[in-house]
Amino acid sequence: MIERLLELARRRADGGADALWRQVERTSVAFEWGRLKAAGVSEEAGANLRVRHRGRVGVAGTTAVGASPDDLVTRALASAELGEELALHLPAPAPVPSVATFFPPAADASLERLIAMGRSLLEQLEREGCRVNVTIERETAETRVANSAGAAGAYRSTAIGVSAEVWRIAGDDVLAIGDVFEGADLPSDAVLAALVGSVNARLEHALRVVAPPQGALPVVFTPPGLSALLLPVTQALSGKAVLQGISPLAARVGEQVFDSRFSLTDDPLRAGRAASRPLDDECVPSRTTCLVERGVVQRFIYDLETAARARAQSTGHGQRSIFGKPVPGYTNIVLGEEGSGMGEGSDALGGGLLHEVKDGLLVDELIGVGQGNVIGGAFSHPVALAYRVEGGAISGRVKDAAVAGNAYDLWKRVGGVGNDARWAGSRYTPSMLLDGVSVARR
Amino acid sequence: MIDRLTAALQRSRADYTEIRVERTWSTAVGFRGRRLESATASEDQGGFVRALAAGGGWGVASFTSLDRLDAMVARAVELSRAVRVTPSIRLADVAPHQADAILDLDGDVRGVPIAEKKRLLEAYNGELLTVSDRVVDTVASYRDEVSEYWYVNSEGTALHELRPEVTLSGTAVARRDGTIEKGLESIGLRRGWNSVQDKAAGFRKAAERAVQLLDAPMVTGAAYPVILDPELAGVFIHEAFGHLSEADFVYENPQAREMMTLGRRFGKPALNVGDNGAAAGLRGTLPFDDEGTPTQDTPLIKEGILVGRLHSRETAATMGERATGNARAISFRHPPIVRMTNTYIANGRGSFDDLIRDVKLGVYACGAFGGQTLLENFSFTAAYGRMIRDGHLAELVKDVVLAGNLFQTLDRIDHIAGDFRWNQMGGGCGKGGQAPLPVTEGAPHVRIEEALVGGDVASRSR
Repeated sequence: MIERLLELARRRADGGADALWRQVERTSVAFEWGRLKAAGVSEEAGANLRVRHRGRVGVAGTTAVGASPDDLVTRALASAELGEELALHLPAPAPVPSVATFFPPAADASLERLIAMGRSLLEQLEREGCRVNVTIERETAETRVANSAGAAGAYRSTAIGVSAEVWRIAGDDVLAIGDVFEGADLPSDAVLAALVGSVNARLEHALRVVAPPQGALPVVFTPPGLSALLLPVTQALSGKAVLQGISPLAARVGEQVFDSRFSLTDDPLRAGRAASRPLDDECVPSRTTCLVERGVVQRFIYDLETAARARAQSTGHGQRSIFGKPVPGYTNIVLGEEGSGMGEGSDALGGGLLHEVKDGLLVDELIGVGQGNVIGGAFSHPVALAYRVEGGAISGRVKDAAVAGNAYDLWKRVGGVGNDARWAGSRYTPSMLLDGVSVARR
Repeated sequence: MIDRLTAALQRSRADYTEIRVERTWSTAVGFRGRRLESATASEDQGGFVRALAAGGGWGVASFTSLDRLDAMVARAVELSRAVRVTPSIRLADVAPHQADAILDLDGDVRGVPIAEKKRLLEAYNGELLTVSDRVVDTVASYRDEVSEYWYVNSEGTALHELRPEVTLSGTAVARRDGTIEKGLESIGLRRGWNSVQDKAAGFRKAAERAVQLLDAPMVTGAAYPVILDPELAGVFIHEAFGHLSEADFVYENPQAREMMTLGRRFGKPALNVGDNGAAAGLRGTLPFDDEGTPTQDTPLIKEGILVGRLHSRETAATMGERATGNARAISFRHPPIVRMTNTYIANGRGSFDDLIRDVKLGVYACGAFGGQTLLENFSFTAAYGRMIRDGHLAELVKDVVLAGNLFQTLDRIDHIAGDFRWNQMGGGCGKGGQAPLPVTEGAPHVRIEEALVGGDVASRSR
């Protein structure tokens, strides 16, 4: 399929072409408010084509590709006619690292198996006065990429997503505590037990509501709670933001910008992760990219186009969907000094950092992360789930509180690194203690 | 197509089956700074089947290859049977409808060359760039689509629609040293090419705002009387209340049901709220929802009292209420779930000046960068704010983030002006992995007696 598309494109475009073809099948089961409610499948296939003609680049995508490859090429050429001139350099064939992306137990798991997994989670999480939602989704995909310079790659992949959420409504107090597993293989019983343990621990501590503290305070952010602090940094480390002149980190490669305990790596070769792949969606072989090493900014991520414009090399971060053009995007982000942590660490809430806190917060989830002027670094979010820490221990859940600060400033003073590193989505982080976070209450 | 779908329905062995097929032609143009990002035309097509066998759960199948239609109907039935549900799922009665609707295409975008769309966006992007040399970056986008839509179900409903949509947005990024500020213009309409002409002024204003914000102080975090402009008031009612009125949250959750009992007082008598999927000419408007239920105006709060909620056929049957036409899916890839359409705070009385006259120190919060709700708690980010001092508008302030508790905040709305307007913005609503869903919000100026405004709390003296 993809060969035929490239062949057609090569005949009509004078400056080369590349393409991605992807077929995805998903199976999902949903338990809603404590009972199994729905099961679904989806099948989707599509192609994305990029051509370079008369120095200009154009793209087109379709889910009706079987019917009309000629039409897709015509649309890509029409797009190129309007496009900007670009010296897009399509990579030549190169060795591709090996990374396991396809796990037969995940691919072969029957609907009954997925339902049983959900039911077991449900039973472990059910409690008086609460309602539980569980969804399980399994995806198998086949990806093919190729270009007119002769580079090509193909791989099959699996992904499993498990999410569980316990809802407790008492009067007007609404509490929802959840956790998510995302991986390429079926989760082991131990991993699911850890998920249940994490939900239950956070629920137990949440039953008592206390008044929030106020002022510039030490705050421990759990791995899911760190989103608001990492988002500005990852946005600023995108080559695209640098190219546009809006990255506060643009001119700072080689400088000590953050605390020496802040290191950040993007790793597409991590085994068992859903975002791992042997090569990116533009035929560039995957490799581990160190973004920040011990507080010193190392490099930015690039796809082919951004690299061409910035006179840099692609770092293998081209991501492309069926529609639209490739964009730079991260795979697995790892926060940590050595960037090599793998296993699940301590399961104590706060990762051993709470004893250092006289009066402050433990933040697990914030509301509104990603809104507003993120790359500027300033944030202000009400808490969705946070606990007061007094005298080194959790005293209860706080409501009606907001935390604020500037991510770039806060990462200059890391107060402590937790021993509880774990995956939260495609991000691997420990809990982090940051000093001087503004905490406001009503 | 309807005949083909009806034939597939007849082969289904389930008690209830529905099929949706969509074919969408779209074009998208994007500028980043002075550079064209891309100009593309896309074609997307696929189908969706949902089946309910006796005593079974929902069996769902979606697919991009229409050759697979019969196989996917069979698969959906099989999945429904694999899921045993007690008590069984019931659907509220809706009379079968047959309709063929072509919405007002208002200049069919499929007849306009993509080069002309590029020229239009280039002009608007140029407005952003020429305001000041402080504007260092822009993100401008134009997107249009015409979607041909077919829906049939085993109760005799058969619908065919041609649905247009066009969205236009521009963000100006202004920078001075380490300070970066944004201004945003966004337009979203269920219309066509004619409706996106002559929009330069809004783009210019957005860029001017970004530049002005470079000199604006961060608002001092505290509880203030807050006046929301109609745009932000609309986002507020959508985020803070609209999602709670979606019945899939309450219908099988006794505690939630109790919290949302009809007749409960939510606000002062001045407060009237509703959702109107049948309002003429809006982006959230369609003749039918994705279960074939006609859309309607549904009152949610009347004179401060909870009087209604938004339903799918399933949630309505469970709660013994009527379907409201709010079961919506963003595409054939997804099942219909309970969603808003055009949500509004109804008009009050008086002017903006009446709202600020007796405010000694307050915040006028304007525009919306976004909002999120976690049920009782919400947060939304205003595009900018103005301080109110001694009854008059004063200096521009930035980083105005409003956070609060729904119940307290709704009850603190004490004044609603008589200057209602719909906000025809782009973007859309997200829920259950389905985004962006086209919705509209509308409101007049609204005053909240006291609300928490986030900002630089550390520098506050106390």
